[in-house]
Amino acid sequence: MQRRLANVNIWTVAAIAIIAALFLPNLTIVTGLFTPSNDNWAHMKEFVLWSFVTNSLILVVATAASTILIGLSLAWLIAQYQFPFRRFLKWALILPLSIPPFIGAYTYHGIVNYTGVIQTTLRERFGMELNPAHFDIMNLPGAIFIYTVFLYPYVYTITQVFLSQQSASLIESTRLLGKGPWRTFFQVVVPISRISIIAGASLVILEVLNDYGVVKYYGIQTFTTAIFQSWFGLGDIETSIKLAASLMGFVIVILLIEKILRGRRQYSYSSTKVRPLPLIKLTGWKAFAAAGYGFSILALGFFIPVIQLIDWTVLTFGTIPLDEFMSYIRNSVFVAGFSAAAIIVFALIVGNFARLVQGKLAKLLPKLTVLGYSIPGAVIAVAVVTAFVALDEFLAPLYQLAGLNTTLVLSVSIILLITAYIIRFFAIGYSSIETGYDKIGTDFQDASRLLGAGLTRTFFKVDMPMMKGAIVSGFILVFIDVLKEIPLTLILRPFNFDTLSTKAFQYASDEKIMEASQASLLIVGISALAIIVFYKFLEKELD
Amino acid sequence: MKKSFYLILAFLLLVLAACGSNDASEPATDDAPEEAAESKEVNLYTARHYDVDDELYKKFEEETGIKVNLIKGEADELLERIKREGDGTQADLFLTADAGRLFRAKEDGLLQAVSSDLLDEQIPEKFQDTDQMWYGLTKRARVIVYNKETVTPEELSTYEALTEDEWNGRVLIRGSENIYNQSLLASFIEIDGEEQAKEWAAGLVKNFARDPEGGDRDQAKAIAAGVGDVAIMNSYYFGQMLNSEDPAEVEIAEGLGLFFPNQETTGTHVNISGAGVVKTSKNKENAVKLLEFLSAPEAQGTFAEANYEYPVNEEVEPSELLNSWGEFKEQDIPLSALGDNNAKAILLFNEVGWK
Repeated sequence: MQRRLANVNIWTVAAIAIIAALFLPNLTIVTGLFTPSNDNWAHMKEFVLWSFVTNSLILVVATAASTILIGLSLAWLIAQYQFPFRRFLKWALILPLSIPPFIGAYTYHGIVNYTGVIQTTLRERFGMELNPAHFDIMNLPGAIFIYTVFLYPYVYTITQVFLSQQSASLIESTRLLGKGPWRTFFQVVVPISRISIIAGASLVILEVLNDYGVVKYYGIQTFTTAIFQSWFGLGDIETSIKLAASLMGFVIVILLIEKILRGRRQYSYSSTKVRPLPLIKLTGWKAFAAAGYGFSILALGFFIPVIQLIDWTVLTFGTIPLDEFMSYIRNSVFVAGFSAAAIIVFALIVGNFARLVQGKLAKLLPKLTVLGYSIPGAVIAVAVVTAFVALDEFLAPLYQLAGLNTTLVLSVSIILLITAYIIRFFAIGYSSIETGYDKIGTDFQDASRLLGAGLTRTFFKVDMPMMKGAIVSGFILVFIDVLKEIPLTLILRPFNFDTLSTKAFQYASDEKIMEASQASLLIVGISALAIIVFYKFLEKELD
Repeated sequence: MKKSFYLILAFLLLVLAACGSNDASEPATDDAPEEAAESKEVNLYTARHYDVDDELYKKFEEETGIKVNLIKGEADELLERIKREGDGTQADLFLTADAGRLFRAKEDGLLQAVSSDLLDEQIPEKFQDTDQMWYGLTKRARVIVYNKETVTPEELSTYEALTEDEWNGRVLIRGSENIYNQSLLASFIEIDGEEQAKEWAAGLVKNFARDPEGGDRDQAKAIAAGVGDVAIMNSYYFGQMLNSEDPAEVEIAEGLGLFFPNQETTGTHVNISGAGVVKTSKNKENAVKLLEFLSAPEAQGTFAEANYEYPVNEEVEPSELLNSWGEFKEQDIPLSALGDNNAKAILLFNEVGWK
């Protein structure tokens, strides 16, 4: 494809510039790998590192396995079968994504602990003698449960969209050949949806590795705990960066494995007509079981915690003035919307570059930008502040010309925060866009180019219309993630800038989970609205 | 079809509305450093997130016309941000809920000395930095709470006594990553030396009713649930539970007794919230004014009433609730020791396996 390469210039330049901008701040962390180790490092290695690493590994492996199990099985049910409430469940199953895991962790603890509704009811209504140990959720299995019920939608959404849009012919042929549902599932569905399963599961893994709120409250020592302990506790940023760099190394390994697993296989549309799969109607107990399964997961990941939050909101209503909430909502929606839009634009450029340019390096380069997702938020925050202060110093003469008597302009502005979000969440938007590009392949592109359209024209006229689904899903995922984000927002926001999540977090960290419920509920509400919009859009796309 | 269109439209409008209003407020903050320097503003980086603080800032604004700009975050991360912002930082005042962090801010050269007769009058020397780089504003005691049904106060004496065999499987306390525990151990390192402090930590771990989990309030709840009989927690959490919106929490707190340990010996461990003026502050005078306001009787009374913290200003009566707990003897060590020994405390926790 000589022509394809010849015309790639402006896209290449833009893509490489974006990749560099997203990656450079993280360089401060890479350099940490090469600093000599000190006493604290030796201490960590001797006493705690091993248990931190094993805990993290258990969390990651168990959560990945259970989210794949739940996400894929639900995606398959929805894509293949007709049963009562299927239309509702199809989009509602994404809703758990609207609850930040740390809020979920607090909420579930609130439900099952001694003063929670379950134990209180059993004790007072039924006079039961209870062993509190049976209700303890603040441990490793408890954390795995929390991550699973709130993060499985990453796997579910990506896989479900893929399966529903996938040309039906493959699966239909299997059916025609007389294979039963189980064989179809394992021999066809699992292999063809491998890319989306892996894409979804890697998002889950990165999210778990990065989380601090859940494990901190539940008292589980993980790799992230170690990073925070050495940095803030011991005041030893070198050891902490060394740990963060090791984490990054680990993530690179995961990404390479993904690459290898994905291999050279590509499943793109072979015809322009994408037919959705004809649904098989379930009846009797099977229909009941299918709906029951969907509703149980939805109850665990959404209804139960939301009901608890509503209950607490009622208890504490009026303690926070309503007009303050309006400004939190405005701030939250603004940063989330703006960052999500920017990420999607950048992801489209980088994704297009990765698709069109041949060669291993070009394929690997965009992967670098995903690293931002592997580094704990607080570490990114400092990397970004450092980079921006340097930039400000460089621009200082300009500021003087403009008559400002300060040296810090960009690094105290909202631009700093939004840049940090973009670095942090690029991976979310990009994986959506990448899956989209994978699906449309390059055949249509080639056809358009052969007919004489330029690269940019092709991009807007041919690629974009087919990418709508991926764009909307990427936007919404990033939007919700920014809405829920904590460490970056806390550290990098400008003066007097509160968001719903900073408000919720501050109450929660003061052990005022009931007061935190009002802001939490608003986060859930706005995210849920975004999910509904997303769903309606997709539905229209598929019609 | 139509419905989905309106949904998308509504959503976009929401985003737009948010953008619009934000743009409108932006110029005000952009002009601020230029116009208002050394006049009507003070920029506060604070690790305290209590609603009562916000009310006090509002009151300060009304009284003085000086606007308080806030960034709230976690103490260490705010410190790191001030450090990275360097000379250009807009921070005027750094406020946090732990003496150790104030010490660290001073060590890192982020603070400057201020002198004010009013501050000296309102804040006892004990709660000031020796070089007047920071001032304490409120006190909290790390106390023992116990199950009134299974423990009598006569059985309790010191933090050290909790390591004895009779308390095996009965002691509750949160994890070692928590700054309150780090400061507690740091105080023992200061008083007894590293060896003895380590023995205490190891002895307590041996008597744990369960692996540490949850926050301070969760320890109190675990007593009610029968997991253990005594818990070490901060005094104001106990006050918050007694005044909780949740009747179940109130009931639990009422079943618990509060005990000030080490009254016959070294005194109960006390930590402070406090603040220091940032070295490069451009609104130093305003920052000092805010400190004076927060240590004046009115604000001190509010801290005690609304947040169950002890005032540092000796002119001010603690609230009724705090008075009902009685007077107590405080640990007599320089508060900077909490910061000085913080890293050592963390290493000791790791060595004895306090999760």
